[in-house]
Amino acid sequence: MARDRLVTRRVARWMDTRLGSAKLARTALGKVFPDHWSFLIGEIALYSFVVLILTGVYLTFFFDPSVNEVVYQGSYEPLRGVEMTQAYASALDLSFDVRAGLVMRQIHHWAALLFLAAMVVHLMRVFFTGAFRRPRELNWMIGITLLILSIFNGFAGYSLLDDQLSGTGLRIAHSITLSIPVVGTWLASLLFGGEFPGPDIINRLYVIHILLLPALIIVLLTAHLGLVVRHKHTQFGGRGRTERNVVGEPVWPRFAFKSIGLLLLTAAVLAALGGLAQINPIWLYGPFEPANVSAASQPDWYMAWLDGALRIFPPWETRAFGYTIPNPFFPAVLLAGITFMLLYLWPFLEAKFTSDTVEHHLLDRPRNRPVRTCMGTATLAFYLVLSLSASTDVIAVTFGTSVNGVLVSFRIAALVVPPIVAVVTYRLCRELQLRDEEAGMAPPERPRIRWELLRVWEWPGRRKEAKLAASRSTTAVD
Amino acid sequence: MRALPRRWLGPALAVAVAGGVALGAGVAAGETSGGVAHQADPTDEELVAEGRVLYETSCISCHGRDGEGQRAPNGALRGPSLEDAGPAGAYYQLTTGRMPIGNPDDLPQRKEPAYSPAEIEALLAYIDTITEGPEVPEVDAATGDVARGGSLFRENCQSCHSATGAGGALSYGQAAPPLGPADAAQIAAAVRSGPDPMPRFGPELIGDEDLDDLVAYVEYLDQPDDRGGLALGRLGPIPEGFMIWVGGLGFLLVAAFWMGHRRRDAAWVDPEPPGDDEDPGTAGVDAGGNARLAGAATRHDEEDTP
Amino acid sequence: MSSDDERGCLGCDEAAATAAEEAAAARRAEVAVASGFLVSTAGAIGLAVVYWQGGQPQLEGLFLALALGGLGLGFVLWSRRFMPHDPVVEARHPIASTEEEVDRFRQEFEQGEVILTRRKLLVRSAGLAVAALGAALLFPLRSLGPRPGKGLKDTPFRRGVYLVTADNERVRAEDINVNGVLTVFPEVEPNPEDPEEPPRPALQADSPTLLIRPSGTPRPQRDMEDGIVDGLVAYSKLCTHVGCPVGLYQADNHLLLCPCHQSTFDVLDGAKPVFGPATRPLPQLPIGVDDEGYVVARGDFNAPPGAGFWDRDK
Repeated sequence: MARDRLVTRRVARWMDTRLGSAKLARTALGKVFPDHWSFLIGEIALYSFVVLILTGVYLTFFFDPSVNEVVYQGSYEPLRGVEMTQAYASALDLSFDVRAGLVMRQIHHWAALLFLAAMVVHLMRVFFTGAFRRPRELNWMIGITLLILSIFNGFAGYSLLDDQLSGTGLRIAHSITLSIPVVGTWLASLLFGGEFPGPDIINRLYVIHILLLPALIIVLLTAHLGLVVRHKHTQFGGRGRTERNVVGEPVWPRFAFKSIGLLLLTAAVLAALGGLAQINPIWLYGPFEPANVSAASQPDWYMAWLDGALRIFPPWETRAFGYTIPNPFFPAVLLAGITFMLLYLWPFLEAKFTSDTVEHHLLDRPRNRPVRTCMGTATLAFYLVLSLSASTDVIAVTFGTSVNGVLVSFRIAALVVPPIVAVVTYRLCRELQLRDEEAGMAPPERPRIRWELLRVWEWPGRRKEAKLAASRSTTAVD
Repeated sequence: MRALPRRWLGPALAVAVAGGVALGAGVAAGETSGGVAHQADPTDEELVAEGRVLYETSCISCHGRDGEGQRAPNGALRGPSLEDAGPAGAYYQLTTGRMPIGNPDDLPQRKEPAYSPAEIEALLAYIDTITEGPEVPEVDAATGDVARGGSLFRENCQSCHSATGAGGALSYGQAAPPLGPADAAQIAAAVRSGPDPMPRFGPELIGDEDLDDLVAYVEYLDQPDDRGGLALGRLGPIPEGFMIWVGGLGFLLVAAFWMGHRRRDAAWVDPEPPGDDEDPGTAGVDAGGNARLAGAATRHDEEDTP
Repeated sequence: MSSDDERGCLGCDEAAATAAEEAAAARRAEVAVASGFLVSTAGAIGLAVVYWQGGQPQLEGLFLALALGGLGLGFVLWSRRFMPHDPVVEARHPIASTEEEVDRFRQEFEQGEVILTRRKLLVRSAGLAVAALGAALLFPLRSLGPRPGKGLKDTPFRRGVYLVTADNERVRAEDINVNGVLTVFPEVEPNPEDPEEPPRPALQADSPTLLIRPSGTPRPQRDMEDGIVDGLVAYSKLCTHVGCPVGLYQADNHLLLCPCHQSTFDVLDGAKPVFGPATRPLPQLPIGVDDEGYVVARGDFNAPPGAGFWDRDK
């Protein structure tokens, strides 16, 4: 033991004399992490990503992203002798003939679902507690970008296997690309390398899925974590916790052990799911044939909102001067664009509307920001309704009702539910605040929301006033 | 590949892992393996007469005297013509208990057959005398080529019954039933007769040998290779998404909640007392966690215009 | 969800517990942590054995989960029970640089800037070169795909092209029984280089077509009256919404339903959309029969099949 320690010390010393690493390492070990369970959600996402990388690398050794037609001769009887692409055949081999291949494939797929689920809950945590405010706006935007990239990467991975379900998904993706005004046909052609399905699409998706997007995700993830270190972690208010300190536990040893424990538990849950719960049984779906389709074709959960929007959007499209803006553009491209644009802009919009431009390191309790909270829950309710709309057919069959009735109900629900949720949330926040006051807690200072900013036509006048005020204040200082 | 037995794992793991999510079992299989019904001999007059009595008691009010179908006075269909369905259609409807039906406005549902096999045989014999429709097909799933059947299934059947045979929704309240409960003869009879909303696939569209292949694949789908574990109803991404939120993230959030909480008996030592300049901040912090530093609050109105 | 609810125990006093009890508790905790590690070891061994024996997905997953979970649980319990819980305080420092630092940076930067701006010609021409290079580097992207031409609007169907099944077999009109439906494609020639290779007409992704003989009398689309062969109609199988195959034919009410987004088309009424997000009817294929009764196309679809796009009407 003693000898060992000596060797490690000698190595450490050697490193330090070349890198000066001791000082850095000491700073790292001393970093303080506030102790609240909700701060671990982002870590679950991070660790799912670690599992994704590890299992994904394993899968690349066996998967062959080629669209060459082959006749399957593997060990899955009910497809033997069927013509299929090399990509699909190698995915079958991975599932049936590579030892431990299926469990890796399933862990990888479950990890993708978990990665996105954890990201969304992490985003909710950051949103509802106001952790995106100055100085963390940039990190918020990096986070949103990570979410978008991960959704795309999930879809690319799901589409690689070239089974019937994913082929249908690709066809829809192609049509959505086509629907973009003016440039849609060009974009679709450049993306797919020609008309659908295109000779190169699987190979391109493979490069995108295993190289391009993961590289971007890793770079942004590093920046995301780097900024957490730079800004130091936010914390909830409490005894002794101020805007100028961080109270919590040091990295070494407790937090490190806890965090490694969480990594292992996340991996364990994914391994259990990967072994015990079947996901995406492509051998039952069969190879992709452009003319075939299965009932109940749905995307993975993180794309469900888009599929649901496509389903419940009314049959409207724009045709003028001989040009068409096809129906899918509105629920798919426009809705997604608005969604992510608002997410990107939220910190700035909120700062503008509350005139709040100072630094915040203490988190809000959601009840103390009722307007933000109710907008957040209403938006979530809207996307939840959209996501559920992606299963109209399954709901109709399960409950023995008409799919038409279910679809029309969701159309109505998408308009009615979010406002109701907003009102209920607002009332609930106020109730909780009142209860806090009764319990003797002083009401927190709450910024006035300048709703008058919505009056766009007053903006020019406002700008003039501001200029005047600015010049006046400078003269006063002089 | 499968040196270790797999079947015994199923139930134990199902209990251990799925917990409340009992989707795995999928469709409970009421499998009665497919012996084709004894082909009725239309020359057997006794049998035909018996069938006629049954027909005139239970079927005639909706399907008409000669199986031509009936409409209600308001024009709504009471019972469709049996002309195209023939004995094959009758076999499917009667052995799956869909017919007879109490209220013709209801959608036929699978239930215990109302007639004994002998009575069904008699009815088929009678219906054979009044219609030109397809006979109950002879089908031998055992000789069928499962792989070829799979291709036929994906071409013709999965769009309604889903790739896994779990069934699916059709428009206006109709549904394609799950295929698990159907036996070989019922599947073949349904293909040939096109019951209710289902298209009819005559021997020109799906040949007799093709039908054997197809039925072999549908039989296979009842107990397919769920090599991945719990089948989650074979309904695709919806139960999978449900599983990851409840069984995956839900579980980990509980774990995180447990990990993130200090042990009850852990000592709390007050951190360094805050400096003087921070006092106004900490006062509010204790109350609701929303205080801002007083010094910083003066910088509010910096940018007033959008 | 702040840590308010924990405050009750913040003042909890461990001193109340007797030393003996504490030692016993510590012992129990130690056993718990160690058993986590032992479960993990057993799981790892199990995993190796299962793999060695030929592999089995459920057991592999289970043992891997035990190996990882036992280790993870051990670490977490260890940290909870045997590591100090006293909160540590770290001071935050202002994130922004001080005025002094900013000023010094500005001075240094401006020193360089002055040198640059003195040579306006060089700066401008360098900017131009960089912009030109950037633009030139965009050109290779054009290689990613061909110009979207007529391909989106037309299919291999022409006057005289036979309609065939997925096995490239021609179809007789009378093969389609009443209430029958068949997916057909334009006939393809065998590969001249490899005549043995079975032709795959189904690979033509833009031209799957449904041949339907509904039980009622189908009304054709405008100007397609002679595109119907006594009660047999041919419509594109690709939904006009986002191009899913509209595979669900409900024979009793003559509706085609798309399984992806539930667009519904009425086959008896020119395949017009009657429900769901689709806005345009399914394009109709004019068909006829040759002397031997085989179904043959009399032209291409009367509209671009599949999803809409910007210049589909041009």
